[in-house]
Amino acid sequence: MSTVADVSTELRDSYARESAAIQQRFAATGDGRAAISERTALVDSTVLQLWNEIISCDAKGPKNFAVIATGGYGRGWLFPYSDIDLLFLHGESGIETELKDAVRRFSQELWDLRMKLSPATRSIAECERLDPNNVEFAISLLDCRYIAGDPNLFARLRDKCIPRLVGRDCHALIENLGEITRSRHHKFGNTVFHLEPNVKDGPGGLRDYNVAGWLALISAMEKLRMWPDPATLLPVSSRRAFAAALDFQTSARCFLHYRYGRHDNTLTWEAQDEAAVRKIGTPEAEISSVADWMRVYFGHVRNVHRVCTQLLEEIPAAWSSVYRQFQGWRTKITSADFSVVDGLIFLQQPNALQDPEKLLGLFHFMAEHGLKLSTTTEYKVEQALPALASTPPRGGELWLYLQETLLQPNAADALRAMNALRLLTLLLPELKGIEALVVRDFYHRYTVDEHSFIAIENLHRLKESKSEWDQRFADLLTELEQPELLYLSLLLHDSGKGAQTDNHVEASLQLTDSCGERLDLDATDRETLRFLVANHLEMSAAMRRDIFDPANVKLFAEKIGAPERLKMLCLMTYGDIKAVNPEAMTPWKADNLWQLYIASANYLNRSADERVRTGSDAGSGANLAHLHSLAAVAGKKINIFLEGLPQRYLRIHGASDVLAHTEMASRLGQNGVECGLKQVRHWYELTLITTDRPSLFASVSGALAAWGMNIVKANAFSNAAGIVVDTFYFTDRFRTLEMNIQEWDRLKKSIAAVVKGETDLARMISDRMRSEKSDGTKVKIATQIEFDDRASTHSTLVQVITQDRPGLLYRMCSAMSKQKCNIEIALIETEGQMAIDVFYLTADGGKVSEERRAGLEKALREELAAN
Amino acid sequence: MTKIEAIIQVSKLDAVKDALQEIGVEGITVFEARGHGRQKGHTEFYRGREYTVDLIPKSKLEIVVADDMVEKVEQAIIAAARTGKIGDGKIFRSRIDEAIRIRNGDRGDSAL
Repeated sequence: MSTVADVSTELRDSYARESAAIQQRFAATGDGRAAISERTALVDSTVLQLWNEIISCDAKGPKNFAVIATGGYGRGWLFPYSDIDLLFLHGESGIETELKDAVRRFSQELWDLRMKLSPATRSIAECERLDPNNVEFAISLLDCRYIAGDPNLFARLRDKCIPRLVGRDCHALIENLGEITRSRHHKFGNTVFHLEPNVKDGPGGLRDYNVAGWLALISAMEKLRMWPDPATLLPVSSRRAFAAALDFQTSARCFLHYRYGRHDNTLTWEAQDEAAVRKIGTPEAEISSVADWMRVYFGHVRNVHRVCTQLLEEIPAAWSSVYRQFQGWRTKITSADFSVVDGLIFLQQPNALQDPEKLLGLFHFMAEHGLKLSTTTEYKVEQALPALASTPPRGGELWLYLQETLLQPNAADALRAMNALRLLTLLLPELKGIEALVVRDFYHRYTVDEHSFIAIENLHRLKESKSEWDQRFADLLTELEQPELLYLSLLLHDSGKGAQTDNHVEASLQLTDSCGERLDLDATDRETLRFLVANHLEMSAAMRRDIFDPANVKLFAEKIGAPERLKMLCLMTYGDIKAVNPEAMTPWKADNLWQLYIASANYLNRSADERVRTGSDAGSGANLAHLHSLAAVAGKKINIFLEGLPQRYLRIHGASDVLAHTEMASRLGQNGVECGLKQVRHWYELTLITTDRPSLFASVSGALAAWGMNIVKANAFSNAAGIVVDTFYFTDRFRTLEMNIQEWDRLKKSIAAVVKGETDLARMISDRMRSEKSDGTKVKIATQIEFDDRASTHSTLVQVITQDRPGLLYRMCSAMSKQKCNIEIALIETEGQMAIDVFYLTADGGKVSEERRAGLEKALREELAAN
Repeated sequence: MTKIEAIIQVSKLDAVKDALQEIGVEGITVFEARGHGRQKGHTEFYRGREYTVDLIPKSKLEIVVADDMVEKVEQAIIAAARTGKIGDGKIFRSRIDEAIRIRNGDRGDSAL
């Protein structure tokens, strides 16, 4: 007769043999579902055998006692090194005491078989009560499965206790499940796109698969008060994708467990390599590289994550009156095309998305309001894509929608949704190469596309940040003239990483050019985009040098060339570094980045009067060559126009502007004035080209002030021939130009008349000042005036920082004129209420003397104090 | 065993790492640091505001080596990091009682 010891040895051998056989079959087939089923069956038979030997020779006995599989084991999903969740259920305390020793021996035997047993002992009454400190136990009961013992006891548990528990405590269950899940997602950065993901606990992993199932089950059971048909739990549109995801992920997890020989669910790079070679989970697919295999992986986890997060939103919202109340206000933002219910976007018309404008408008709406798409809306987007693919939108209209979306506070989430639905790569095929692309790098944590979305998100989040350092960058962001170009450059900056090349910048540039053409961007915008992508690593590189060394600052600043580009590149660097991983942008780095920015900005302001010499290539060579190549006809005219202009002029004006200015200059004649006026996003741009004359800059400033315009920025340059190119950027405070198209011409004529001295400017200004009341509610900015004689070899730099107010520029320039100072260059900027104006002045053909400086400072302070 | 701590200019980090690799030192820990000795801070004015940096950004390295490598390592660091100007940095030495490799439990010099 066999002894207990004999049985143990025999069982151990049999278990080991069968386990090895399961592993071998998995190695041959890669079929994860089969492996976990076989392993479940093996453990079932082992548990039963032990039950017979130790607890009861009757598989259905003793009465009022049963052993139940719960959790993953209950689901029939036993991964090679998963815990085995067993519940010893008793109907009364007597039987528990009676069988205590037997249960202990039973558990010990299972441990000796090297099973990672996770036992629990509960009474049937305890199972019906929700323990708020152990909600996980209640959740595990949802997967309960009978193994051995009293079947009636199990039936009571399954058919009575659990439905009652769920019926009574569904809200608490859902809430807890939601909290645990969100916390777990947060731990993983709320993204599926990790370079070394966790196939169980990562967003979109097997845990999320389970969560989706539990949420749906609890919701259905609460309504029906009984167990629903499991096949009908999930939305119809998700079932197939879910089943495919499960097949893939079970295979991946089994592979990892066998590979490591322990419970480890991390898909390391080495594991990815092997999985791709063995085509784990993808026996039929075309897998030619690790990148291909990881794309399949991300496709599955993305689907699971989407459904899981949707259910997390939809189910509690359906119940919670508080949640409804909170979300209810959102319905006020419902539009003609979209309605918002419980925080999710629905379509007012089911077939609305057949119209590409509405399809693009949907994501703009999403980006604007920070909402998610409902499952039905996502389905409608997917349905609309084939028609869109046959004639994809492009050109100016596409750019209009894209830029408006990029500028919204939740642009990153909208881009993610567009990417998940394959819309983004349809509109911008340039991004196809980086879709779910894993690039192996010890620093980067995310796939390349996710990295770009996070970079964009980092900039939008600046406004919410309370940190002092972030505030500085947030202020810089508000000063940008074209932030949409910055966001677009962040989207494209690593697009070249999908190319098989060591130099991703070159590849990214080619894709940027293609994108610029696709969006029909004008030449200047394309140059800016190109510049940002080409130089997106420059600031990081400069930070690795001595940022306080003037020579390094000069080298870097000259490479960038213009303040606006410097601001954009600084913010791009900030967003890019911060998107590498959550710890990448340390206060140390942020500080250094800021220091480099301000040193470079100061250098650019103090080196504005280095002149263009058309005979030499130094400094402006590339620009000049580019201009000459564009102006085959203009030719000599360009040289004459550019000679002696500050190099800064070439850095801030694109080729098309320079050509236009050249033409304007060539039409001037003896005493002519050429005026150009256009609207540029938030302001108007007036370009004045004329021969230099006294008080010119002051006069035009005054004329604009007299028209009620607020000058926010201006540049004044002159060339060797005495031709002046002044550009004023202003806002139309009284909407004169916006409401009256005929006023555009009248303004230009008025400016020309003032310049020629044909109008009484002083009268115009006093009339305007009389009609305006001063706004008392201002932030007080103290006036600071600084002189610098070293910045230029032949002029004196004056920087004035003061309170911005109407007519300020006119008054300052008039004061300078009265002191017989000539404005060679003016660089005017406004930051909120603060005017930051830099002038390069000469007097009597040279620098401003000490004596005259004192007089000028006094005059400026008096002028600024008086008004 | 000896621990060598070196505070160097940020711009010299790559050169020092390369120099250490050349002499066979593979284990190195790098920290972002700030500090100053006799080197003065830096003040920059931007839009009327003063930005003063008293503690200059530096890189700090920690290397633990066998005693017979100490001189070689220090010379390599000095050669790569020196510019001759104030702010080049400093090297500190201290004794280490024990080193243990987590992966396999190796101790002493063989853990380095």
